[in-house]
Amino acid sequence: MSDRRLGWLMLAPALVLLGGLTVYPALWVIWLSLHYRVPVFSISRWAGLAHYAFLVVDTRFWNAAGVTALFTVASVALECGLGLSMALGLWGQRRARRAAVALLLLAWALPSVVTAKMFEWLYHPAGGLVNFLLGGRPVNWLGDPVLALPALIGADVWRTTPFVALLCYARLLTIPGELYEAAEVDGAAGVQAFTRITWPLVRPILLVALLFRTLDALRAFDLMFVLTGGGPAGSTETLTVYAYRALFQTLQVGFGSAVGVVVFALVMVVAVGYLRMIHRQEAGA
Amino acid sequence: MRGGRLRDGLVLAALILYALPFFWQVLTSVRPDAELLPLSHLLPSRLTAVHYEVVLRQSLMPRALLNSLGVALASTGLAVGLGALAAYALARLPVPGRGLILLGMIAATAFPQIATVSPLYLLVRALGLRDTWLALILANASFALPLVIWLLAGFIREIPRALEEAAAVDGAGRLAALRFVVAPLVAPGMASAALLAFLFSWNEFLFAYSFTATEASRTVPVALALFPGVFEVPWGDIAAASLLASLPPILIVVGFQRYLVRGLLAGALRE
Amino acid sequence: MAPRPARAAAALAVLLVLLAGGCHERPPADGPITLVFKHAKILGPADPVPGLLRRFEAEHPGVRVQSEALTWSSDEQHQFYVINLEGGSPPFDVMMLDVIWVPEFARAGWILDLTARVPAAERDAHFASAIEPAVQDGRLWALPWFMNVGLLYYRKDLLAKYGLAPPESYEELVRQVRVVQAGERDSRLDGYLWQGKQYEGGMVNVLEALWANGTRLLDERGRPFPEPERAREALAFMRSLIENGVSPAWVTAADEELTRRPFGDGRAIFLRGWPYALDLFELPDSRVRGRVGVAPMPRLPHGRVGAASTGGAHLAVSARTRHAALAVELVRFLTGDAAQRAMTEGAALRPSRPALYRDAGLIARDPTLPALLPLILAGHPRPITPYYLMLSTTLQPEFSAVLVGRKSPARAIRDGTAQVLHLQEALTR
Repeated sequence: MSDRRLGWLMLAPALVLLGGLTVYPALWVIWLSLHYRVPVFSISRWAGLAHYAFLVVDTRFWNAAGVTALFTVASVALECGLGLSMALGLWGQRRARRAAVALLLLAWALPSVVTAKMFEWLYHPAGGLVNFLLGGRPVNWLGDPVLALPALIGADVWRTTPFVALLCYARLLTIPGELYEAAEVDGAAGVQAFTRITWPLVRPILLVALLFRTLDALRAFDLMFVLTGGGPAGSTETLTVYAYRALFQTLQVGFGSAVGVVVFALVMVVAVGYLRMIHRQEAGA
Repeated sequence: MRGGRLRDGLVLAALILYALPFFWQVLTSVRPDAELLPLSHLLPSRLTAVHYEVVLRQSLMPRALLNSLGVALASTGLAVGLGALAAYALARLPVPGRGLILLGMIAATAFPQIATVSPLYLLVRALGLRDTWLALILANASFALPLVIWLLAGFIREIPRALEEAAAVDGAGRLAALRFVVAPLVAPGMASAALLAFLFSWNEFLFAYSFTATEASRTVPVALALFPGVFEVPWGDIAAASLLASLPPILIVVGFQRYLVRGLLAGALRE
Repeated sequence: MAPRPARAAAALAVLLVLLAGGCHERPPADGPITLVFKHAKILGPADPVPGLLRRFEAEHPGVRVQSEALTWSSDEQHQFYVINLEGGSPPFDVMMLDVIWVPEFARAGWILDLTARVPAAERDAHFASAIEPAVQDGRLWALPWFMNVGLLYYRKDLLAKYGLAPPESYEELVRQVRVVQAGERDSRLDGYLWQGKQYEGGMVNVLEALWANGTRLLDERGRPFPEPERAREALAFMRSLIENGVSPAWVTAADEELTRRPFGDGRAIFLRGWPYALDLFELPDSRVRGRVGVAPMPRLPHGRVGAASTGGAHLAVSARTRHAALAVELVRFLTGDAAQRAMTEGAALRPSRPALYRDAGLIARDPTLPALLPLILAGHPRPITPYYLMLSTTLQPEFSAVLVGRKSPARAIRDGTAQVLHLQEALTR
């Protein structure tokens, strides 16, 4: 058997699965978004761009877009800052490294539903640890439209910072110690060592982490759905939650698909930007 | 950079504090109901196993754990099985358009679930696969597959071609070279990919929530999200259920840390 | 690590075994005829349903009725039904439906047409406001099982202490709250409790406010907010209750039970609730026993008194049942005079038959029945359309935003109108 033939044979099953369950649905959802489709009542009609035209003037859509943007920017910024700090703190850890990494990764590995329930309890007005530590004030974190989004962001940052920290930590470990010894000899230490040596070497990996995390934050669904359901009053309703409600609560499969396509396009734009950046880096490197 | 025992201890203490939400949930799961609401003392006056009893005997969690385990194992097997084959083909064999296919794989890792859930839901409905393991296995496997292929293709590329060619020259042929040279070398990478795929499937919520209706077919995240409470929410029971739901992830983080970390880093650091 | 082909084969074997194991469970085909009756847990002191089902079984030898409970939340019940009925072969024969779902299920073809199987006299024996929502395209699709109506609960003792009669207008209610709170000087005594959470119950409260101000959600042609100014007033009033402290801020996250309990503990003056709460307030160990009265819902400037929402549960037969005649008989039995009488005696449920409210025997056990009758007759069903739930879930976030102060009533009405119009574009054939 020729290598080419073998190659196709080995590739085929994966391509069939992906074609059927990833590529085909990706195209189908675009097709769905161009229809009025309510399966429960057997409604299926061409709509053209009607759903998209509505989204342009739909305040609930723009609210969701704003919440998504705010959530993404705040989450990612905090994660990268916190993650880098944790990596710097972890760097030079001699003893119990495995235990340290285990404690770190625990937050990342837990199912998002578990994390949601955990934080729902932590934020509970009467029984939550947060209010207890604040001296027993009955702050209604998840019920207050102003506090709910920061509370959600806090939970998400807790859950995903370990990923960024691990990435930075691994990178830091590859930096040869001689660089710092040489710098010390030259009289540069502490902050200067950081800005001259550490930061330039860590920055590329931080950018990679930033982009991974941005894609994840844009697509995030589980945490906000289980923690707040998008409430109160839509203050934590991201585009994904809005799409879900349209699909499974109001059973508007056509309209819900349109919102899903918007999320899809947003994520793809960011992803393509990322790929371009990689190619540019690889070409330059 | 240099540190003494004190520094290491402080860092460890800081990390324990970071994991505090988790430890608080452990404490909640053994705290008696009367002391849950309102919270008056940090430590409970006594420990109780009643929440675990309720969860294991009266709730849907045992069935959900079984469902999750079955779905996760099968989808991991499927994803890694198909993914390994495809990765080797893309990494080593002259498949036409493989650069483009690989690029497509990378793009596919960014697909949002919320976009594909509606057509998949219609498909599941049309094929009568609602409440079946098959629907979730296929959905999870297909979602994990791009990442698995990308990871494994990278690992395979790291193996020097010379090794394979040497084995082939020895009269073994390509398939034997695969079996005796490549497979053992890429096995740790496959372990990493398998762990990531398993974690993804175990934690997966959206598809499981949308494709199942009956209580008996729920996976762990769905059962936890829909944990019943008639008037008041049973926080102690939910905490116990959460911890049971977290057992495989904890096991992986503690027991298979090396492979997990390798998998996480491979995707990011290689590029 | 095992060589790759062996691993692949093992994975495939695991897959096949799991596929075989993970399929649907099917019920046994032989044995006595089993009817599956799906219903929600009956709130209140006792559950009369098992006794009634045994009576039916006794009257129909060879028939077993298997009772299966639904979740407690109305939205989750609806989700359960939709998913199972959509799937094609629902594992139940008779179902308890919230009245608002009947037109939807009828339009979707999931329930049996009962028109030919229920004589007109039996239909007319129920409240008109209970039969009306069960009629779609001139056909009858479900029979009322028990009746609900929104009530204003008030503390007889507190009002009497300050010489006040139950308020007829909301303005009066607010004034009374101020008087009583000033007099009692109890910081833990709330004024008016109602359900403002973002769910169907919250929608009911908003609808009642709209009706209290003489407007409605949809006009005869189905257009939303025909009198936007009156709707705006009603919403603004609800928000003002929280802003002015007449209602505590947590009502925006409260459902029926979260409001019933504080009132039952004596910590509120007024409560908007369903009739089931009355029985719970009159239990021997209730702190407000003997001190609770019911009154019609107050009005706002442009509306009338007693514009409360009727509600309740209906019984319907699955269109895919294999025992249609028997299932219909079960429905007629459970909604019949004798069964409803038993339910009224045993549980905190109110019958859907007006005649029972004048029955001496029942009144002897429950003296509140005569008072409830006019309240039910004055009540109002929610918009009767197959798309009611879609409408409700679309508008709930808008109303919720007003109640928590995140949106102005005018804006919420504007945005809500746009959303409803968009929804209706899809629904008009």
